[in-house]
Formats: sequence, C-alpha cells, structure tokens
Amino acid sequence: MSTATTKLERPHEPTLFEQGSPGRRGFRLPPLDVPTIDLARAIGPEHLRNEPPDLPELAESEVVRHFSRLAELNHHVDRAIYPLGSCTMKYNPAVNEEAASLPGFTDLHPEADARHAQGSIALLYHLGRHLAEISGMDAVSLQPPAGASGELAGMLVVRAYHADRGRQRRKVIVPDSAHGTNPASVRLAGYEAVEIVSNAQGRVDVDELRRVVDGDTAAIMITNPNTLGVFETRIREIVDIVHEAGGLVYLDGANLNASLGIVRPGDAGCDLMHMNLHKTFSTPHGGGGPGSGPLGVKEHLADYLPFPVAARDESKAVGFEYYFDYERPRSIGRVHTAYGNFLVAVKAYAYILTLGPEGLRRVAENAILNANYLQALLEPFYDLPYAGRCQHEFVLAATRQKAGTGVRALDIAKRLLDHGLHAPTIYFPLIVKEALMIEPTETESRASLDRFAAVMKEIAREAIEEPAVVTGAPTATPVGRLDESRAAKELDVVWENG
Amino acid sequence: MPYVPNTDRDREEMLETIGAASVEELLADVPVELRVEGDLDVPGPLTEPELLSHMRRLASLNRSAGDVVSFMGGGVYDHVVPAAVRKITSMAQFYTAYTPYQAEASQGTLQAIYEFQTLIARLTGLAVANASVYDGSTAAAEACIMALAATRRSKVLLAGSANPATRTVSRTYLAGAGVELVELPIKGGVTDLDALERNLPDAAAVVIEHPNFFGLLEPTSAIGELVADSGALLVASVDPISLAILAPPSAYGAAIAVGEGQSLGAPVAFGGPLLGFMATSRKHVRRLPGRIIGRTTDENGRRGYVMTLQTREQHIRRERATSNICTNQGLVALGAAVHLSLLGKEGLRELAVQIASRSHYAADALARVQGVGLRFDGPFFREFVIELPFEAARMKHELSRVGIWPGIDCGCYYGDMKNCLVVSVTEKNSREDIDSLASGIEAVIASGGRA
Repeated sequence: MSTATTKLERPHEPTLFEQGSPGRRGFRLPPLDVPTIDLARAIGPEHLRNEPPDLPELAESEVVRHFSRLAELNHHVDRAIYPLGSCTMKYNPAVNEEAASLPGFTDLHPEADARHAQGSIALLYHLGRHLAEISGMDAVSLQPPAGASGELAGMLVVRAYHADRGRQRRKVIVPDSAHGTNPASVRLAGYEAVEIVSNAQGRVDVDELRRVVDGDTAAIMITNPNTLGVFETRIREIVDIVHEAGGLVYLDGANLNASLGIVRPGDAGCDLMHMNLHKTFSTPHGGGGPGSGPLGVKEHLADYLPFPVAARDESKAVGFEYYFDYERPRSIGRVHTAYGNFLVAVKAYAYILTLGPEGLRRVAENAILNANYLQALLEPFYDLPYAGRCQHEFVLAATRQKAGTGVRALDIAKRLLDHGLHAPTIYFPLIVKEALMIEPTETESRASLDRFAAVMKEIAREAIEEPAVVTGAPTATPVGRLDESRAAKELDVVWENG
Repeated sequence: MPYVPNTDRDREEMLETIGAASVEELLADVPVELRVEGDLDVPGPLTEPELLSHMRRLASLNRSAGDVVSFMGGGVYDHVVPAAVRKITSMAQFYTAYTPYQAEASQGTLQAIYEFQTLIARLTGLAVANASVYDGSTAAAEACIMALAATRRSKVLLAGSANPATRTVSRTYLAGAGVELVELPIKGGVTDLDALERNLPDAAAVVIEHPNFFGLLEPTSAIGELVADSGALLVASVDPISLAILAPPSAYGAAIAVGEGQSLGAPVAFGGPLLGFMATSRKHVRRLPGRIIGRTTDENGRRGYVMTLQTREQHIRRERATSNICTNQGLVALGAAVHLSLLGKEGLRELAVQIASRSHYAADALARVQGVGLRFDGPFFREFVIELPFEAARMKHELSRVGIWPGIDCGCYYGDMKNCLVVSVTEKNSREDIDSLASGIEAVIASGGRA
C-alpha cells in the first residue's frame, strides 16, 4: 500500500474497460485444425448474437500490470496481521499451495471413473476420517463449499431426521451472539430461528434455554467457543436439555481453532457440525473464497449426509479401493455440482499431515495464548465487556472512546489501516456495542502482537488527545474513507463507460 | 513447531504478562471431563519433503486429462488456461486476503470483482451481477429463491434437460421452502413446450439450461414468449463461452441469468473450486444473494469501491437475508476476469467458434461410424449425444483401456438413454484426438464391444 505522500501522486487505477485498444489481445489459441463452420447454417441465425459482447481488448502485459497494480492496493495475510474475529486469518502455508498445484489433482475431471480417480477419492476419504477424529464426529461430507453451505446442509439433515420420525418441528434456537449465517441457514431450511439472549458472562443462559426448548424445537445451533471468545462451560447441560426435548444439537465450528486436540464437540454430545477448512485448517481465504465447510455428523445422522460419500473397500472387490457411494436413499441430496472445493481439501489435508496430533494441539494452545496475551496488553485502554480469560479471540468495546470524544469502533478500525495493519471485525457480535472482535491466531509472532498492541494503544491516546486524527482516518491508504451511502443510493455495480 | 512462531521462552513471558502460570490455566473454562485424553489419532507430523512425496504419490494414483484423450464435460470443461491467469491468482495480495470488509485496504479485490461483475453483465446482456456464488448449480437454486420471493408464488419449473447437478442441487436447496418443484419433460432433447405451457400457471420460476445437458440449444424464443405473460421469471443457466456467439439471456427475456464459470480460467480440479455467476435486471438487484461491489467516491472525490446493498445480506439482515451465503468464490471470479481480459472480445469469439467447429467436426466424424447415430438432430454447441449399439458404460470402459475417455454416460441420469454418451469438445481436442475417438469407437463396435 502507498504512504500518505505517494497517495496524491498516484491516480486511481482505470478499469479494464478504460484501457486497451481495438484488435489487441492477450492470448492465442491453438490453431483450428478442422474446418470452420458457418454459424448461421449450423446453429441457426435465430440463436446467434447480433453484436459480440463488449469485452476489453488488451495485451498480456497490460492485463498483468492492471491486476498487479490492483494487487498492491490490498492488505493481506502475507503482509501483516489480519485479526478479523471469527475469520481465523492464519498464515497460509506455501507447501499447501504447491501440493494443490500438482497436475494429478488439478487436471482430473469430476466425471472420471473411480478407478482413474483413486488419489483424489482417497484424499477425500482420509481427510474426512481425520476431520471426524478431530471433531469427534463419525462421518464427514466434504461437499459443502463454504461454512454457510455446511450449515444449510446440516439444517436439512435436521429436517430429514425429524421427518423420518414422523413429525416435523418448527423452530431452531440460535443464541444472540451467533453468526448471521446461522439464522439465515435456519430460515432457508424452512425453520424459524428463535433467538435467545446471552447471560452476563456472554454464554447461553441455560435457564432461559430451558424455558424456550419444547417439543417444537428441531435443534439448537450453537457456536463453541462462541463469538465472544468464551467457551460454553455448560455445553453438556445445553446438549441434555435439547436432547431431552427430542431436538438435535448443531455446532457451528467456525471457532474450532481453539479446540484442536483439546476438546471435541462430538464428545460433548453435539450431533452435527460444520468445520471451516479456510479458517481452522489454514487454507487461504482467496479475497472472499473459495472456502470449504465440511459437515460432520454422528452415526445416527450419517445416512442423511449429502451424496455421494467417499468410501473405501479394502478388499477391492470391484477392482479398486476407493469409490463414491451413491446408494444413499435417505440423503438430503447434493449441495454442490461435484464433490465440493476439492483443491481446498487438498490444502487442508496437507496441513493436518504437516502438523500431526501434537502440532494440532499446539495450534490451539498458541491461538489461545496469543489471544489472551493481546487481550492483556489491550485491556487497560479499551473496555472489555466480557472480562476473564478468553479462548482464541476476544471482544473489546470502544464505548469509552465513543462516550469521551465520539470516536467509534469504525474510526479505530480505519486508523489501524493507516498503520499498515488490518482492523478487527467490528460491530459484531451484535450484543456488544462498538465491538472490536479480535482473533490474532497462533501464526502471529509475539513481535507482531506487540506491534498491534502498541498501535492500538496509540490510537486510544489519539482518541482522547486528537480525536480528529482518528475520525479522519484513513489517510495513508490508496483511498480515503469511502461513501457507502452514495454507493447504495447511486447504484453503480457495472461499468457503463463513464 | 510448524507455523507457530512462539518459542518456549516467548510463551513463558507471555504467560507472565497475562498473569497465568501455564497454558493449562488458560483452558480452565473447558470442563476437564470433556478434554481429549492423549493424542488425536491423525497421521503426521511430516516435513515438507515428506509431505510432498506423499502428495505426489497420491496425485499419481489419478489419471488426469494430460494422460488421456478426454471428451468429458457436463458443466466442467478442460480448457487451455493462460499462464497469466495462474500468475495473478497466485499473488498473495489476492489469495491471502479475505472478504473486503475494510474497503480502503481492499481496493484491489473490490475493483477486480467490480470488473468481474461488469464482464458477466456484458456477456449476459443484463444490467447487474453479483460477486459470485459457489457453482452453477447453487446459482440456479439461488435464482429460484429470488423468483419465489419476487413473485410470492411457490412453484418452480425446472427443465428436465438441464444438467443433473443443477436439478439435484436445486431440489436440495428448495427442500425446506415448501415449494412444488416440477421437472419439465423433454421432447427431442429439449424442453417440451406443451408441458411448459400446461404447468406455467402460478409458476414463480422457469429454469432452463441453454445449451442444455445434451449440448442442444433450447427453443429460447418460444420459451421466452410463453413465460413473458405468465408472471413467472425466466431463469437461464448459460455457458459463458457460448455467449460470445449465442444470443444473450436478455434477448429472450430471461429475468435472471446464471451459470458455471469454471471454463473461464479455472482447471477442472475434480470439480472444485467452481464458479457460480448470477446476473439480473436492476429491478431485481435487491433480491440478489451474496456480495455486490459498487463504485463510489471517498471524501476527496476519488474513485473507490465498496461492498454495497449489504442490507440484503446475512450479517445485517440475519434470518430475513436474501441468502445465507457469506464466503463465495472470489479468487475464481478474479481468475475469470483475468481470463476474459486476456482473451478479449476477439479471443472469446474465436474460442466459441473453435468449440462449435470442433464439436461439429466430431459429431460428423462419429455419425459416420457404423452403428453410431446422433441421438438428436437439433442445433448444438460444444456437446452432443451419440447413441451406440450397446451400453455406453461398456464403451467407456473399453476405450479407457486405450487412454480415451469418450464422454459422460447418459444412462447414469436418464433411464432410457443407457446406450448414449454426451461427448464434449473444447479447443484442446485436436483433429487427431477426435479422429482417434472415432476410430476407437469404430474398433470397439467392430469387435463386438472390446477394445
């Protein structure tokens, strides 16, 4: 990113559509070695397009420079801390990228016969087994391509389970600290999301839960550790209450990083859960995706998993060992065109093998250590609505700053950008006013944490002594604070030559 | 310890700052009776060379497109991927970033996705597009959900000629919505117009695929006219490369265009990551799922980009959001933008003409083989269906022994088409490849079903 002085010298990067010249192109196709057909005759004039789509016309060097200049405008994990709470922006190991680039993986068509896809099916099978072991689940589907997809698949499993028991239920309980995807997935699956308030410690209010749970409760969707970075210590009781009413317990595994090798949701009695390979298992976030949200279930729900399921027959009765099981009459169906984001699975598999059992536990321990350390460094300067030890993340509040000089969490976030650091997740969870939700992850060094804390301390000072510096931030980024209401009002989501 | 910078000494000093005696003390909230005893039963640890050797061995158990002559398609296509696509998508600035929550530090991602949206809008002829969804199938399912909300109706008509994945994923997505899902019968390989007309009253959406699973062009003008007066929204699932030469969805009245974008710069990769794209008119923009990037200005009037219309989305609207999607396929969308920029106006057209020419050459060559017929006689693009004198599964098996993957066995998806193969052609299939497919099929038939 540019500094304040170079910012003024550099104009904005023009769009693709403002560059290039008619007739220019950046790639040559292999020569056509069959006769060119007459489109009008072969396809019919009524199916043809009058004008070719107005695509840019650029040389390869222009394309590469354009996107390279755009790249310079991004903050990213390889550059500095990216402490978005509940996003687990850990370092993405280089070797995983190399493994996922092997032609044997990248060039295999999804419709290949199983006998020609033994490596890929084996990888899906064994990764599923490892994730089951890590989570305490019995069976895992790698088909959901993101966490929210895993949630939807999970809620549809809940639906199928109750349908098989002869009576559909109506509601799914979701704590008020939950990710927005939870109630959205509940609704998409045809359930009503019933929100329950958290108690003063930021945990599920077990008495309130007892009041809300009834014979119409299909499930509870719970995040543990939750989005406040607090472990639900009474998870067993929560599970029992829901189970006694005939409901199921869905665990949102977005925060599984804190639990690796320490505690398994399955052992706590959870029936099903999704994991996020792009969080816990180090696969890159891709500027928004692709991710992967495998769904794990206990034995009693295994029949409902999306089909096909990667399976193994060590006797090789059909001539090979690994295959896809399509004979799943009780399956909820497919949630993806193929088998999910396969190359993401390759990276997660590589990560687990690199770490091994002790390494996985060390990940969780150091994620928790780093979060507690950073919390201790920041606690004197910001409010900490839910005090005490945290797990992998913690939530500060800029309430003190807002009451004092009007500096908000948003301003603090923008000021962090001026220092070349990324901001935490802000205004989430919704139950914390002026929230700054911080997840450093285990891959930050102590020096990186110290630097982040020093900048946050400096911003806290500025908020009191020179609040305009904070509310006027950012000034060192490629653009200043952007006008979001204008973006929504004068909607411009497609370039129209001007 | 891999990927953890803290040393024992760091840990001690950090614990001191925290005021804890041990890491164990930090775990006090985790009930002891729930703790994992001993080690997890997972393999490792492996060093980098050990890992790579294991991964190479696994990869070598696959037979990939490079080792065979392949005519596999069905929505996922093996195209030439320019080196510059990989170069850009391998830049850490792009792939190690996340959803651009802090716009001022994410202008690269935001502008690239804005450009992706523009490219999709220009291909489809529609006014707005989103930042991607998971794949073409979920894009179709999300379009159905849009139409259900827009029309307040509860019936979806889904072309039986659409890709089986599109149909099965839509069915899964709509399972909880209390929706009546009708699969329209096929006539001559395309949507039966009479059946469409019969089922049209009270439909929220009509979903067609064009070209369809058999590669055939649907009677889009007739479908568009029928749907236009019905109050239903026409959803067209389209092949983005075909749009270089085929009439765009806007031309036949589609309210929503969706599709699989993997063919734009992504490898086949065992079917993932893929790329779902969605475009619609301005009228329906507030019903689109997922991220949408908008152009705006900063306080000094400088051009910049942000995520916009976020009140549609789950992190704001929660259970009333238009969709539950959060993470999408951003990096694949970036790759598609790079790919389309490299090919450009001329290149994409040349690619589409090549595919049409090669697939027609292949259809002619196969139709000349004794015992082989073209199942349908309508116009097609890229894919076509051949009928064999015996089960396609057997042909596939026999040809795979000589390194030819002749296509997708229709019998897996259509009970009355066990002898049929969907043959798919890209610019990578040379005349020699196609000729070897024809002679291979001829040889298997001549020998009564053996290669």
